[in-house]
Amino acid sequence: MANSSSSKLGNEEEKLALKLLLPAFLILVIIALYPLGQVFYTSFTDKEFASSTETNFVGLDNYKALLSVTVKELPPVIDEKTGEQAVDEESGQKIFERPIRVLPRDPHLYRPSFEFSFFGNKYVVGARTPDFIRSLWNTLLFTFFSVFFETLLGLIVALVVNSEFRGRGAMRAVMLVPWAVITVVSARMWEWMFEPTRAGLFNMLGERFGFIEGSFAFLSNNSLQLPAIIAVDVWKTTPFMALLILAGLQLIPNELYEAAEMDGASKFRQFFNITLPLLKPSLAVALIFRTLDALRVFDVFQVMLSQKRYSMASFNYFQLISARQMGMASAIGVIIFIIIFAFAVLYMKSLGVDTE
Amino acid sequence: MTREQKEKLRKFLFYLVLAVIVVYLLFPFYWAIASSLKSEAQLSMTPATLIPRDPDTGEISIFTRNYRAVFSNGGFVRGLINSTIVATSTTILALLTGSFAAFALGKLRFKGKTPALYTILAMTMFPQVTVLSGLYAVINALNLSARVSMIFTYLLFTLPFTTWVLTSFFRDLPDEIMQSAQVDGATPFQTFHMILLPLTAPALVTTGLLSFIQAWNEYLFALTFTSIDPSARTVPVAIQFFSGEFARQEPFGEIMAAAVLVTVPIVVLVLIFQRRIVAGLTAGAVKG
Repeated sequence: MANSSSSKLGNEEEKLALKLLLPAFLILVIIALYPLGQVFYTSFTDKEFASSTETNFVGLDNYKALLSVTVKELPPVIDEKTGEQAVDEESGQKIFERPIRVLPRDPHLYRPSFEFSFFGNKYVVGARTPDFIRSLWNTLLFTFFSVFFETLLGLIVALVVNSEFRGRGAMRAVMLVPWAVITVVSARMWEWMFEPTRAGLFNMLGERFGFIEGSFAFLSNNSLQLPAIIAVDVWKTTPFMALLILAGLQLIPNELYEAAEMDGASKFRQFFNITLPLLKPSLAVALIFRTLDALRVFDVFQVMLSQKRYSMASFNYFQLISARQMGMASAIGVIIFIIIFAFAVLYMKSLGVDTE
Repeated sequence: MTREQKEKLRKFLFYLVLAVIVVYLLFPFYWAIASSLKSEAQLSMTPATLIPRDPDTGEISIFTRNYRAVFSNGGFVRGLINSTIVATSTTILALLTGSFAAFALGKLRFKGKTPALYTILAMTMFPQVTVLSGLYAVINALNLSARVSMIFTYLLFTLPFTTWVLTSFFRDLPDEIMQSAQVDGATPFQTFHMILLPLTAPALVTTGLLSFIQAWNEYLFALTFTSIDPSARTVPVAIQFFSGEFARQEPFGEIMAAAVLVTVPIVVLVLIFQRRIVAGLTAGAVKG
């Protein structure tokens, strides 16, 4: 008797659950199912954007073109007189063969994506679409560093704002200012601060305090581009993290801290034994959404670096709008989707987010 | 060190950290305000000045014509109205449907929870650029107006986010609340909207604010969907179309003035709602 009534209750619960999920799923079907299906389909064709050229089914060609990668060792250039490796007279660095001579040409041309050294040997990574491989690497670096710093700063900001002090309400509003600035405009704002002359804030400050000689071209200098972009993103999205973490902190009952205080636990121990474990679910969700967002980063890259350096999404945009290769662009979209999906699953497994 | 001294040091360090945070978060915005109060000539001064100054005399000189230009720009004012309509509607829709779904996913028992959560999350895994053309086709087929299309398409990123965050909050609420309400004869839906929903108020406000701002700032979809109907342009698009009243090149000062003006309503909004974020769980309502 008890059994059947509880299963009846379970049945009703299941029905209610389906009813409650219906609106969300209806919306998602309308706005997501067709567009996403179309992306998958187009990625197997050579469709061109806004053109009347006939579209052909090309199978996996787009994917092969994007993902074909080869690593080749660059042989040292031998100086004929000495019989040893030649050395550049100006820089004093050893000379290796030019990448273009070791990379395969047939049936497809591989161009150098980047080079690296390992145990004194030099290697080149060649790809059929080197820009895409570089954009992938840029995006991964960007995601790792920006999410790391955002989480750290977000946690600090949330903990500070969560304690008792005067002006806490105003501080909560201040905290959200960077997130509130329109992304496209904030990218322009930072671009202006990064200005390579002393009209730019950083060069002006750098000179006034004597950190730098002359001026830095933050956005043209290869090694400064990523750090600059990461700085912008960290500033912009720390509030997002901070607010989500703050809401999580609010859910931790005060009684726990009171009890810990009575037991004489230090603030430090309280943080690691109470705050952090209880914060884990909110932290995990915040991390997942920030990481997925960072992997799709578009606005900052597009506005500040456009074609100087790509993220995966800005390369996708370039392929679609400038190169008009819609099939190729869709394949990039699908690859991004797969990478993000893998990240999401990995995260949920390693953070122990229970979905059941 | 005596206890009192220790306490003083702690306080000092706390306010030091607080000050550093405030400067870090606000300084770039201050720089935007300062730039919005500079004329073209003042903007190109080297070295740049922290306060707008006259290029010749070095006296402080505030230039307000950027703001007047922005306000007399019909596109900007219309953009403010459009952005308000679009962002508010999207947020309400996302919170409504999202909290229903989240209650089911966080508190009810049924089969297929994990696939449902993953499917919802998968919607945000494509870059906006990629789905743009497909979405455009859907909108044309359904014959939606530009504003309605923005409201619906923004759910693509606001709905999964609200659903996920609210699910984790619902799950954290003790099961005892639901059970005791059931014993009192409440249906699960009554439990949901009379007891659980008020308890998750901080999460609702938080996700609502974050989604609102995300929708308020969205650029790519807005640019595409308003291309045929310029009167529906939202603020980010309207700003990009500034042509500059007295500068031939891009009117940077005006753009900064507009940026300052559109950030202020959001800050006010946060000030109004921030109390709700704090309110949290009423003490004693839940015993962990």
